[in-house]
Amino acid sequence: MAQFPITGRFVGDFAPLLVAVDTDDTMDQLAAKVAVLTLGKRLPLPASPTPFDVLLDGEVVPPTTTLADVMAEREVLPLQWFDVRFRESETADV
Amino acid sequence: MLLNRDDWYETSRDLDWSLSYVDQAEAFPTSWSGAEGVPAEAWQKWEEPFRVSYRDYVRIQREKEAGVKAVSNALGRAGLFEKLDPAHVAASHLHMGGTCMVEHMAVTMQSRFCRFAPTPKWRNLGVFGMLDETRHTQLDMRFSHELLKVDERFDWTQKAFHTNEWGILAVKNFFDDIMLNADCVEAALATSLTVEHGFTNVQFVALAADAMAAGDINWSNLLSSIQTDEARHAQQGFPTLEVLMEHDPARAQTALDVAFWRSTRLFQTLTGPAMDYYTPLDQRKMSFKEFMLEWIVNHHERILEDYGLKKPWYWDTFMHSLENGHHAMHLGTWFWRPTLFWKPNAGVSKDEREWLREKYPTWEDNWGVLWDEIIKNVNDDAIYDTLPDTLPALCNVTQLPLGSWGSRHDVAQFQKVYKGRLYSFDSDVSQWCFEQDPERYAGHESFVDRFIGGQIQPADLAGGLLYMGITPEVMGDDVYDYAWAKDYLPAQTA
Repeated sequence: MAQFPITGRFVGDFAPLLVAVDTDDTMDQLAAKVAVLTLGKRLPLPASPTPFDVLLDGEVVPPTTTLADVMAEREVLPLQWFDVRFRESETADV
Repeated sequence: MLLNRDDWYETSRDLDWSLSYVDQAEAFPTSWSGAEGVPAEAWQKWEEPFRVSYRDYVRIQREKEAGVKAVSNALGRAGLFEKLDPAHVAASHLHMGGTCMVEHMAVTMQSRFCRFAPTPKWRNLGVFGMLDETRHTQLDMRFSHELLKVDERFDWTQKAFHTNEWGILAVKNFFDDIMLNADCVEAALATSLTVEHGFTNVQFVALAADAMAAGDINWSNLLSSIQTDEARHAQQGFPTLEVLMEHDPARAQTALDVAFWRSTRLFQTLTGPAMDYYTPLDQRKMSFKEFMLEWIVNHHERILEDYGLKKPWYWDTFMHSLENGHHAMHLGTWFWRPTLFWKPNAGVSKDEREWLREKYPTWEDNWGVLWDEIIKNVNDDAIYDTLPDTLPALCNVTQLPLGSWGSRHDVAQFQKVYKGRLYSFDSDVSQWCFEQDPERYAGHESFVDRFIGGQIQPADLAGGLLYMGITPEVMGDDVYDYAWAKDYLPAQTA
């Protein structure tokens, strides 16, 4: 396990942010680390807990996949861009 | 008998000599002159658009100086500064910290024209440009020095460029590139033509009008006096463009397209928030977009078309950016306000918001939604939720936040691996700028690169502020202490 810096954008916010994640984080954990920097700060929190999707180069990454798993499959350099959004089937448009 | 100017002017402005002890190429290397690919005789056609002699220059400048000083002395005695709206004062803090040392950098650029420009006529004019820029630096320093006793933020007029404050790093990066690191030809196109002829109107004409309306006669007078010099020496760009359009038009087009985009982004940061958010509502003359449309789109770009240039390929993106880019920079600077050396005004009271909606029909959906959450937190006394927990990701060309050229609906990934390192860009245009000359930008580390590289310790907000040189006395906060947010509280029943 190791800390790793990513560019995390919560879809609907105006700016992607520098987010420190861990290579052992699952996509659900990575999403939570990105979302907490936007929701309740510049976008409203959802009325009830809502899961997130993580997208890498436009493709949804399975929620239980870890960042280390992704790194084993493809090159991921520091500051790689990850999009996070509410899971499409369960959400509200912001 | 004293000769008339017309009797000696032609000789004095075009005095040159044939080198015999050194090669011309060694005395005027193209890496400094920028004359590569242009035949030496082509520069004979370089004609300055205005005539000036040293005697005339000194007489006129002396009169200007006397005017500025008389106004400054009279107003200083009247104590008018203390009566100014604090949100307006923030605009002058930002201007002084962000531009004074750019004037000083311009002295070096003009001195390069004096020494390396490919024609003696241009070298001659460079002398006056150099004296102009020295004057501007000293005017800013004098203005700020006199205000230090009532406002220590004016210390940043001199200090800012000696710190790593991240907004200043963005300004410095741009002017390092187009003034200090550019050859004469490129500097004339990027700085004289694009920044000075085009964009300084936004900073020095628009802000001067707002400052006058705000009662800041001293600053308004200073800005206007500086602009009279800028308007003159900016014209050095036109004869240079004329020569280049004849011999290397593709180079001219690319240099101007890069400079135009980078200038747009920078002035969205320096001037946009000041005009549309800091200037008190009843004192605003035009919106930033209106001013850009009149001075940049209608005036500057039309002139360039007269020289045979095409509009930049990214024109539609630029026009969309006029609706949004400075709103992004304003929200970003306000949210990350502890990292500023001025106190920003949120500028989103109900009345101000109505003005924003009128000027920018998409403002509510693009920006109002984000401010609503901030307003809710302010009124819930949750100020900690309106403060930053991390850094915004930054562009490796403009040094500004990714996506901040447009609205929240436009944010998109622009990243590229170059020599093993991942570079990020705020837009496809900034990525295109990088791709024109990757080595030019590749070595630079943005504030975020420095953070993850361990240069900023401790790696938190406190470490970041220490690295930026921000001290408690100048650290930014909401200029009205959030009073504007009370507009949104439910009406009290009697």
